[in-house]
Amino acid sequence: MQLLKVEENGTAKLFFLSSAFWFVLGTLEGIIDATDMVIPDLFGGIPWLVFSRVRPMHTTTMIFGFVGSALLGASIYIIPAVSRTPLWNERVGKVSLWIWNISIAVGLITLDLGYSQGREYAEWIWPADIGILLAFGLIFLNCIQTAVRRNEKVMYVSSWYILAGLVYTWIIYFFGNAVWNPSKGAIYGLPDGILAWFYGHGVVGLFLTPLAVAISYYIVPRVARSPLYSHTLSLVGFWSILVIYTHIGTHHILQTPVPTWLKVLAISGSIAMIIPVMTVLVNLWLTMRGRLGLFHQDIGGKFVMAGLVWYILTCIQGPVQALPIVQRMTHLNNWVIAHSHMGVFGFSGTIALGGLYYILPRITGRPIYSTRLADVQYWLLLLGMAGFFGVLTAGGLVQGNSWLNGETVYRTLPMIHVYFSLRAAFGVLFVGAAFIGLYNVIRSIAGEPRQREIQTEKATGQTQ
Amino acid sequence: MKMTPLVLILGGLIVIAPVLLMNVITPWVTGLDEPPSDIFRTRTPIEEQGRDIYVNNGCTYCHTQYIRDFDWDIGSQRISKAGDYIAEIPHLLGTERTGPDLSQEGGEHPDDWHMAHFVNPRFVRPDSVMPSWEFLGKERLLALIAYKQSLGFKQADGRVERQKYWKAEAIGAFEAGPDKNVEWLHGHVPEPWTKLPDPYMTSVPGLERGHRVYQSFCIGCHGPIGDGMGPAQPFLYPPPLNFTILQNRGISGGILYYQIMNGITGTAMPYFKKDLESEKIWDVGNYIAVTFIGESDAGQPTRGIAVSYEPVEGPK
Ligand code: HEC
Ligand code: HEC
Ligand code: HEM
Repeated sequence: MQLLKVEENGTAKLFFLSSAFWFVLGTLEGIIDATDMVIPDLFGGIPWLVFSRVRPMHTTTMIFGFVGSALLGASIYIIPAVSRTPLWNERVGKVSLWIWNISIAVGLITLDLGYSQGREYAEWIWPADIGILLAFGLIFLNCIQTAVRRNEKVMYVSSWYILAGLVYTWIIYFFGNAVWNPSKGAIYGLPDGILAWFYGHGVVGLFLTPLAVAISYYIVPRVARSPLYSHTLSLVGFWSILVIYTHIGTHHILQTPVPTWLKVLAISGSIAMIIPVMTVLVNLWLTMRGRLGLFHQDIGGKFVMAGLVWYILTCIQGPVQALPIVQRMTHLNNWVIAHSHMGVFGFSGTIALGGLYYILPRITGRPIYSTRLADVQYWLLLLGMAGFFGVLTAGGLVQGNSWLNGETVYRTLPMIHVYFSLRAAFGVLFVGAAFIGLYNVIRSIAGEPRQREIQTEKATGQTQ
Repeated sequence: MKMTPLVLILGGLIVIAPVLLMNVITPWVTGLDEPPSDIFRTRTPIEEQGRDIYVNNGCTYCHTQYIRDFDWDIGSQRISKAGDYIAEIPHLLGTERTGPDLSQEGGEHPDDWHMAHFVNPRFVRPDSVMPSWEFLGKERLLALIAYKQSLGFKQADGRVERQKYWKAEAIGAFEAGPDKNVEWLHGHVPEPWTKLPDPYMTSVPGLERGHRVYQSFCIGCHGPIGDGMGPAQPFLYPPPLNFTILQNRGISGGILYYQIMNGITGTAMPYFKKDLESEKIWDVGNYIAVTFIGESDAGQPTRGIAVSYEPVEGPK
């Protein structure tokens, strides 16, 4: 069957293609929502364009569809690469790919039709949840079988993060979506809030983060052409993220009447997150020390580099905004939306794109269709992300300050109108970048490369 | 440390076991015997149906359902307790307040206000960014309204009863004609307010400010020319007041102020004391008095010592 065709790295390739496709859809959903907030009656009366149905579609398309697919594609390439053995089973890989994509599509379409389980990032109905769990299971099976059959004595750091990330994501997805309760996908009372945020935080911390870190560990030493700085730091970073990140979900609901001991755990854990974050970043920085020039020449390396900068910014902001005194000002407003875009898009999304641009040429055996276009995409995204962050943070501070000083929510709406408008404007950059990316990926997979660019790339040694 | 698949998977499982115990199992099990709070009651079937609509349409992305000890907006009369949530599945705590918190929404407004608001929020709240929900159809909107009115449980029930009581009174007064209606309306304004003139002077900037407040808060009901024919009018009964009928019926700055500050419970007329501070209420009241009623008592001689910013006239 054509859809399940067995070819070397075919699964990874199609995961990248899926990612580029979902990215376009995700940005379109984003711009619809941004417009809704500026001109609420623009799509008046069209149920499937209403803000609050599109919003969960936007977040889940981005997390699972765009970033998730690219991270999984990269993982399925990296595990065999660092094990020096082909992927255990490409056909199983293709099956997991289709289950993955179909589940996402089912989740999104039903959301649009008005079927939601209501908890953030766990909105998809039960059949989609089961599909996602199945896909994760199959991908894990494929990766572990490959790792067991490795021809390389040591297991490289990237594969630790990928394997652990997959196991943890499966467990967290299973519990977080309460799959034993198909109709509701939830449990009763405040414990449901705690469970939902254990999950919500796990999605970014134990799915997106470990896989993005795995890609960085794979690409940074290669682009820098230098061995990884320290094995010990890798170990500390790896085990500490598993121990700490899993405990801090309650920092999303600190102002609700959940048990105090959980809040204490979440706040202290959030501060302790500096350990896993800094060990990874120091390890990677010392690996690339003195070799930054190489990262400017490699389009994949460049994306990863930018992603790591967003990572440190996100993870400086994170512990600070986990403090109750700070949350009085920042919780419940657009400040948090700025943070989530910097985390999900700036950090993991940018690194996922880095993985895509670094790995895709190595799968197809020819350079990407156009580095120029990828470069344009890079700048659009960098500009868009920076603008987004600035505008949303400013808007969030206006909201937070006003509320704290006694303004009603309704009174703050005209105050943030200008930030909402600017947000929509920056969103256009993302939409443009996503379309450019999709075009570039399709041409890279299907078409012949442009003659002139091959020559320049050969000259700069881009495709080693 | 040598990493092998076995070390990884076993180590990973050893780490996550206590995590699950601490972060999932313990809060879950201990949460099961959380006693109901003082206000808790179970929901009726139609309220549950409304809640499902709320979940499916993602109202929770713009509305939280918990009150903190430093909140000022609607619901801030009571800080949420753990026992309020025992029947919530899924939880609807929320993470963003694009719109106000709704945990005490029941009885804030009568049903007709909600209907106008859901059909198009801008009919009653001109600056709103909430989506229009007309497409849900009347039946589902009624279920949604039933759910809204249950938020706050027993406390909400009391408020809803009060709305219903005064709604019957207000309708009776409205149907008895303008004279009786105005008499009824003003009969409930406490004594000192009825006689109180607007203590400030009428001024062009003051009227401009009043106009601005009117456009952001009142125009959807009372209409651009104050005749009560704003876009929300077809949904509301008694309909929004036509200000021109107040002419020659003993209106005062104090009555306007009091009615705007407190609203008229039972009718769609909301209170504005959370949205508007003192000067804004005087300004919009005087804007109505001057522009629509054509009768203003602003700045009459009995006004006492003038505010320091007002223009100096004569010896004072
Ligand atoms: C885009 C964000 C958004 C969504 C989605 C949304 N709302 Fe709102 N809501 C608002 C804003 C902003 C306000 C304040 C202005 C107003 O009253 O319209 C509000 C106000 C309200 C109020 C009035 C509160 C009061 O007493 O003043 C109710 C009730 C309400 N929303 C219910 C709902 C329900 C039910 C849904 C889902 C069907 C929903 N909202 C979806 C933004 C939203
Ligand atoms: C949701 C619709 C609605 C909105 C918004 C609204 N009103 Fe009203 N208003 C009413 C209704 C209904 C009545 C009572 C009519 C009745 O009982 O006959 C009323 C009555 C009044 C009265 C009572 C007059 C009297 O003599 O007792 C005043 C004053 C008033 N409104 C001013 C305002 C102002 C000022 C605003 C804006 C800040 C405003 N209203 C916003 C619906 C509204
Ligand atoms: C050191 C690491 C981090 C810490 C301590 C941290 C902390 C926090 C806190 C406290 C919040 C809640 C803010 C509030 O609601 O007031 C939050 C929200 C969020 N964080 Fe992080 N963060 C970290 C890193 C990341 C990363 C790396 C990502 C993405 C990959 C991310 C994605 C998000 C998202 C999406 C939200 C919004 C959730 C929502 O309310 O919908 N965070 N973070």
